[in-house]
Amino acid sequence: MLDRTAVEELVYQSCLLLDEKDFKAYLDLCSEQFRYTITAHSPEIRKDMIWLDHDKAGMQTLLTQLPRHNSDHSPLTRHANVYTVNFDQAQKQAQVVSVLQVFKTDLDGGATVLFAVGKYLDTVTLNGDKPTLAKRVVKLDTRMLGIGYHIPF
Amino acid sequence: MAKNAVQWEQTPKLPPSHYVDSRIYTDNQLFQEEREKVFNKCWYIACHESEIPNACDYRTFQHPGGAPLIIVRGEDMQVRSFYNICPHRGNTLLYDPVGNAKRITCIFHAWSFDAQGNCVDITREEQGYQKRFCKADAALREVKTEVGYGGFVWVNTDDSSESLKDYIGAAMSELEPYINMPLEVFHYHRAIVDTNFKLWHDTNSEFYHDYMHYFNRVTGMMQPGYFDRKCVGYDNGHVLVGSMEIKYDAYEGSKQRGIGWPGLAQGGWILIDLFPGMTYNLRTSVLRMDTMIPLGPNKVMIEYRGMGLKSDTPEERAQRIFDHNTIWGPFGRNLHEDLLGVQGQGRAMRENTDSRWVLHGREENSTIHDEIGMRHYYAEWSRRMGRKAFDPYGEKRVTAAA
Repeated sequence: MLDRTAVEELVYQSCLLLDEKDFKAYLDLCSEQFRYTITAHSPEIRKDMIWLDHDKAGMQTLLTQLPRHNSDHSPLTRHANVYTVNFDQAQKQAQVVSVLQVFKTDLDGGATVLFAVGKYLDTVTLNGDKPTLAKRVVKLDTRMLGIGYHIPF
Repeated sequence: MAKNAVQWEQTPKLPPSHYVDSRIYTDNQLFQEEREKVFNKCWYIACHESEIPNACDYRTFQHPGGAPLIIVRGEDMQVRSFYNICPHRGNTLLYDPVGNAKRITCIFHAWSFDAQGNCVDITREEQGYQKRFCKADAALREVKTEVGYGGFVWVNTDDSSESLKDYIGAAMSELEPYINMPLEVFHYHRAIVDTNFKLWHDTNSEFYHDYMHYFNRVTGMMQPGYFDRKCVGYDNGHVLVGSMEIKYDAYEGSKQRGIGWPGLAQGGWILIDLFPGMTYNLRTSVLRMDTMIPLGPNKVMIEYRGMGLKSDTPEERAQRIFDHNTIWGPFGRNLHEDLLGVQGQGRAMRENTDSRWVLHGREENSTIHDEIGMRHYYAEWSRRMGRKAFDPYGEKRVTAAA
């Protein structure tokens, strides 16, 4: 059975690869059943919202097309801290909660600002020689993202 | 050949109605005038009725004219609006964006008001005021409020304004058949952008910026009839961009669009820009509503709402949300590009950047790459402001032969 360190490294590796825009390697961390969702709660309309929702094929399509769009090229830095890892030995899964901070650094001058905060709520599959992401919910606390961003967190 | 300083200053070789002085986007004095002469005279969308479904539900709203407002549904289920300002010592009455309050009680000295704006309690009233001042003297300031055009709550701070119906006129006639059923907000987010509010409205008024969108380049301009859509101007500066059917198959990931919108052709699209800063955008399966709250000459807060049908099944709602997010969500493919564009305008047109003119000069038989929508808007802006958009300070400096 894989240990907590392996799970934590999966989470951190996912951050590093997205920061590097290495989308292929990022998707290689994900199982075939991978589901990626960004959610936020709006007090203004009293509703939980879904801001992005894709399976692995949808993420593949999204990440392939993004370079064709005009976009803010300021790089993001994702900083995650794994808070809890709950193993389910029977299911060969782990439920992982990490806090997430996303920083944006201006290309022109290099000033860095905090862009978003939230949590990763991950389901990690443990039935191979390395853990894989089966599900990631990015639960955002930040709802004001300025002009937005194309690349998921 | 590049221009020298004198040539840069010269007015464009176009009719004066076909360009504007860029200082209308940067001058704080003009911005303050816009609050007074435009935003405090026009009807404006504050929220949607589905955001305050129950008696005593309220929603706060920062009116673009400046006043903070409370939108509240009374116990009689009528929606009313008031200044979110205590008439006692000017404190904010309601701090949260939403809530339910049978009594609106100021936290400062506990003066209390009902949902019709009446003052119902002044703490230690007789001891302090004797008979000189009483609850009847302390009502809230009410703001004209109507609900309509898809269930949106409209407000007007001008007590002597025309009715909402007269203000809108015929501008919504093409869209009204599609939004006459109960709607519901499923998406809300804001963007604060360092740009002038009119530049966002401009972006919503012309489709020439199709070139900015990869999505539009592959789904729109390649298909027959795309350029045939007509822009139609209406009284009070409103503009309809003609409808069409968009073929999404050319864009990978956007092929499954099964649910549509009742009565609207599959892939249908109707866009209406309402003066001075609201846009109804019904596309395929989602109604998007933009409302702008200008915060300064070079700063605007834009509220984005995604709307579905109140009668949606969970599956239908999920599909609308997916369609919305693909294009218009904060991580959507088009919205980010549009905001990037107007942010770039704001960066280039800050005060003292020596930006001089903005061209609205394309004429293509009033079709969607014609810039007639903006010309129509600025004609109304000029009328209300008492200033010409191409010469806002009366300098009469036409220097190039038009």
